Amino acid sequence: MTNEVEAKAGVYRDTLLAGLWRENPVFRLLLGMCPTLAVTAAVKPALTMGCCVIFVLVCSNVIISLMRNLLKPHLRILMFTLTIATFVTIADLVLRAFMPDMSEVLGPYVPLIIVNCIIICRAEACASKNGVVVSVIDAVGMGVGFTGTLCVLASIRELLATGKIFEVAVMPDAYVPWAAMGMPVGAFVTLGLMLGLVNLTSKGRA
Amino acid sequence: MLRDISVSFSPHISHPLSTRSVMVDVVISLAPAMAAAGYYFRLRALILVATCVIASVATEFICNTIRKKACSLGDFSAVVTGIILALSLPPRLPVWTAVIGSVFAIAIGKMVFGGLGSNIFNPAMVGRTFLAVSFGALMTTWATPATLDAKMPKIAPENMIHARTQATPLAWSKMAINNELGADIYAEQNFKWTVTGEVGGCLGETSVIALVIGAVYLLMRRTVAFHIPLAVVLSAFVFGTIAYWIDSYSYVQPFYHLTSGGLLLCAFFIAADPVTAPLTRRGMWIFGIGVGALTMLIRIVGGYPEGVMFSVLIMNAVTPLIDRLCKRVPAGGKPNV
Amino acid sequence: MGGLRHFIEQSWLLIVSSFVFGLLLAATNYALAPTIEQNRIDKLNTLAKGLLPDAIHFREVTERIEIASSRGKNSEVSVYQGEADGGKCVGWSFAVSGSGFADKIDLVVAVDADFEKLAGYDVLMSNETPGFGDKIKDHFYRDQFKGAPIGELKVLTSGNAAKIDSEIIAISGATISSEAVVAILNDTLTRIKEQMEKKGLIGDDK
Repeated sequence: MTNEVEAKAGVYRDTLLAGLWRENPVFRLLLGMCPTLAVTAAVKPALTMGCCVIFVLVCSNVIISLMRNLLKPHLRILMFTLTIATFVTIADLVLRAFMPDMSEVLGPYVPLIIVNCIIICRAEACASKNGVVVSVIDAVGMGVGFTGTLCVLASIRELLATGKIFEVAVMPDAYVPWAAMGMPVGAFVTLGLMLGLVNLTSKGRA
Repeated sequence: MLRDISVSFSPHISHPLSTRSVMVDVVISLAPAMAAAGYYFRLRALILVATCVIASVATEFICNTIRKKACSLGDFSAVVTGIILALSLPPRLPVWTAVIGSVFAIAIGKMVFGGLGSNIFNPAMVGRTFLAVSFGALMTTWATPATLDAKMPKIAPENMIHARTQATPLAWSKMAINNELGADIYAEQNFKWTVTGEVGGCLGETSVIALVIGAVYLLMRRTVAFHIPLAVVLSAFVFGTIAYWIDSYSYVQPFYHLTSGGLLLCAFFIAADPVTAPLTRRGMWIFGIGVGALTMLIRIVGGYPEGVMFSVLIMNAVTPLIDRLCKRVPAGGKPNV
Repeated sequence: MGGLRHFIEQSWLLIVSSFVFGLLLAATNYALAPTIEQNRIDKLNTLAKGLLPDAIHFREVTERIEIASSRGKNSEVSVYQGEADGGKCVGWSFAVSGSGFADKIDLVVAVDADFEKLAGYDVLMSNETPGFGDKIKDHFYRDQFKGAPIGELKVLTSGNAAKIDSEIIAISGATISSEAVVAILNDTLTRIKEQMEKKGLIGDDK
């Protein structure tokens, strides 16, 4: 009995940690590159984007996990997409109603969460095979891992591109902003260097 | 005993040509341009060249150390990148900006790809593009040559900044295109200056005479094949002529396009970079024509007054494709595309 | 018979969940649509208020005003009348759009009560290059339009920006964005003015 509980707790912990680091969606799985490159010019939109993804990921994982035994194999992708699209639309509407400024900054990238590979990957790889609890933990782990990496990239880019972090000036006045870091080139260079760094730190492991 | 006898595959003919000797030749051929820059822009030129070279070499050393690779400083390629980058910067650029450009050029433009020979894009142009995109204002603030400055009437200190900056000849030509004022007015005034170099512009690009001296040395030493430079200059000239022929009122004379801006610096020292240009002769012609045509397209139609930087990078990007299309057929074999 | 039964067996989940999700979306939209519409009007009015500081209230004009849209069709423009204390008309504002350097540019434009002079413009939405084109949001550029006469505006690359006339000095390095703003104004202002005169909203009697 105790062993069973411990084993369960171990599974939960592993699932959570997988998303946060070992199978981090951005640095390890290289999924969800579109928002990673597009909305990381500043921390605030990156964080908003991350929260939207967490919301959609948790909701879709719960629904798909609940209906996993009813799914017909050849119609499952259709069901995944339908579920994801519903929650993305809800997230988009909520954002437009209560955070109109952010919604404008993020523009088409919120509706584009529908085609974000992380979500459909988790639906296929986890939610359609596991119970609700594990699916939720997996969604939270993956979502937070995604949000975290987005924020790391965004803070580097926002700091260099504007001299601010989270819209608070941190650089001295004499600092001349590097406009290129706020553009797509900054996204590619920062992501590339971060990936290299992550690979360097975990060389020989993982 | 046996250790002294080396056995290797053919070819057995050795040639003194090495990366190092090529790079030293390029440095020597850039000397006149550096001298001209020093003459026209005085201390600023010296500071910028020194900064870029030191920063480039230091970056290469650090990158090699991090990646635990053998030291590659001996091939002088970092020095060449530093000099070319410095010569393509505006004279008034702050030193810290030049350092960022050099670090970016070497680290992102070259070392990330695996060092010299593996880089897709010309490192100096990668660094310059990053600066041009990041610090647009600083990168388009030109200075009057010191020699010209001395001839100017003395001015009040508070007007100093305005009086001592000068638009480049190409900026004038762009203004002519936009305002329809008639480009020849500018061209006649400046044609002589663009040849001697007594005009606003990047450090190394202003003096045609100095560049040509260096280029002749390079061609005589056969360090650089003549195909790419010739193709660049010819195609730029042809497209400039077409534009001039269509509307001689708003487009400057084709010769003016050749002598102003970075076209010559680009043709001989940047586009002809053997690492990032095609390998076959036919490929070199295509590459050179592409660079010249894109440059003229940007100058005449585009938003920027000068286009060599972007056109070299674009053609660098299609170099693998050109190489693939111009693959030579081995004797008796079929093309294997 | 067997065909229909097979069809229902395979896809009942899809059909049911489509209905459920559709209902969910309809409910969300019903709940949030008024807030979203209000956000849009609020933003328009806030920007218009910045351009017409005397106006305390904006009232939508009921007359139908049309401008030529990109596909050769006419599209309606909502014109708002800016009213000062006591209902006196102090100017008009409306949102117009056109293509910029990178993407569509949406502008809020305000004119004076007689539709003789521009009161200025502000950017509702744009995606111009940071550091260059997005300077169309800066006061340096926008102030040139404050008080400029309605009619053909011209873009020059050099000249005196402080002088208020129909000559607009382009942003250095961003001529295309500068021209885009002027082109939007040139395309729409005269047309809107003509129609408003025809409808009797402005003219000698007022």
